[in-house]
Amino acid sequence: MRRWRRYPRILAICWRAALSTELEYRLNFVANTVLSLFWMCWAAAGAAVYFQFAGDLAGWTYPELLVVIGLFFTVNGLRQALFQPNLQRMGEYVRRGTLDFMLTRPVDAQLLVSLRYLGIHNLLDPVLGLALAGAGLAASGRGVSAASAASFVVMLAAAVLLLYALMLTLMALAVVLVGAQELDQIAFGAVELSRFPVQLYRNPVQSVLTVVPVAFLTTYPAQALLGRLHPVVLLVGPVLSLGCVGLASLAWRRSLRSYTGASA
Amino acid sequence: MGEFVRGYLGLVRASTQVAIAYRGRMVVWFLTGFFPLLLMAVWLTVVAGSGPPRGWTTGDFIGYYAAAAVLWHLSGQHVVWEWDADQRSGDLSVRLMRPMHPFHQYAASDLGHRVVALAMLVPVLAMATLVTPGLQYHLTAVRALAVAAAVLLGYLLSLVMASVFALVGFWTTQTSNLYMLWWGMGSFVSGWVAPLALMPGWLRPAAGVLPFRTTMGFPIEVLTGRLAGTQVWFGFAVGLGWLGVFTVVYLAAWPHAVRRHQAVAG
Repeated sequence: MRRWRRYPRILAICWRAALSTELEYRLNFVANTVLSLFWMCWAAAGAAVYFQFAGDLAGWTYPELLVVIGLFFTVNGLRQALFQPNLQRMGEYVRRGTLDFMLTRPVDAQLLVSLRYLGIHNLLDPVLGLALAGAGLAASGRGVSAASAASFVVMLAAAVLLLYALMLTLMALAVVLVGAQELDQIAFGAVELSRFPVQLYRNPVQSVLTVVPVAFLTTYPAQALLGRLHPVVLLVGPVLSLGCVGLASLAWRRSLRSYTGASA
Repeated sequence: MGEFVRGYLGLVRASTQVAIAYRGRMVVWFLTGFFPLLLMAVWLTVVAGSGPPRGWTTGDFIGYYAAAAVLWHLSGQHVVWEWDADQRSGDLSVRLMRPMHPFHQYAASDLGHRVVALAMLVPVLAMATLVTPGLQYHLTAVRALAVAAAVLLGYLLSLVMASVFALVGFWTTQTSNLYMLWWGMGSFVSGWVAPLALMPGWLRPAAGVLPFRTTMGFPIEVLTGRLAGTQVWFGFAVGLGWLGVFTVVYLAAWPHAVRRHQAVAG
């Protein structure tokens, strides 16, 4: 138990180091934030095109769709800030044998490998995304009850956990396949699919995206915020996401068994 | 001149071989290029829910976005990325010492990749027309020729436009973001966000004369047979005009840009 208690402290040290490195490039941070804002407006304006021809899309009005688009930028920003920098380094860890050293350190290797780095460029994206979601919520004219806010927080946490599980699985895959830089593209693709609520796709795609839990990334958190989430989903979300993290963790451990080391 | 052409062809061939060697990477790249299909799915929902918007059937949307999914891989973004990366890694210094202008080095290398991309994607598209109900292009020999010409023109314009933006990197050492901003703004009038015929009426006249439609919407519109003869000629004229403008800008800016070159790293 004491082992676990020092992990937040280790993580804090790692992230502080990552931050101070990246603060060298402050202008980049500003440029990226401006760019994120631009892409958010781009997505919001682009989605408006459909509503010239339809009052709602499969039950989603324009303001409600903005909630989903906002959450897409939130989740995508978290992916870019928390997961992408680590996943991108994974190929190099395996090919160059850096992983050997990480395995010998007196800290859980999974923690080091999966959360060591932080992408500061996109740190503001989740905030911007939440702002857009909030604007959409206000425009939709629905109030927020304490219950819907609470279930939103639960579902968003489940979404982040699911994303973490996906990243860890891809990292395990990187160990087995030795490298493969393209794995990052798979994470990108999975999140990109959540740009629109799953109801906007027709079957069979819609069912597939509900089972392969793309629906949990943005659709369900948005429904929770709008107060129309099915109570069963609220139960399934945390169980599913924790289960996926557990399985991914298992896959990571299994993959290490096949790792032979590349340094020396 | 003969030597130049031989060198060019050699670079294209080399790049083709690189693309084939890393075909797995290309396949992943294709798989993640599904964004047009996402937009298509949303349009099909619009059609299913509220009826087709003026004269667009389900088949029209499928035909439009299937072509867009292929054309997307011909956009000039790769050139900007390469140029951008070389400027910061210092590899540009090496390119500058070679006897061929860097523009042609990047263009030849990109061309090789595009050739492989088309060789992989066009058969997929052709097969899709056979198995997808509603997906059909009524191609005559003349129209096929016009499509090929429009695709080539669109690709050349993307290439030169991207290269002009790459020159900005000599001042800012960061160009890909700027180019994506330009591309993103243009995507509302290029036919990427939605087919231009479905964009708001006030946007369409501007779209007709801006450079972006040449790179995406125009070749698709020629392919799907939505344009009358004079509209096709007008589209080619606009594209060629912009190709001329950006070529002149590039040639005028190059001497100033390269003078600012500071060899980064080694």
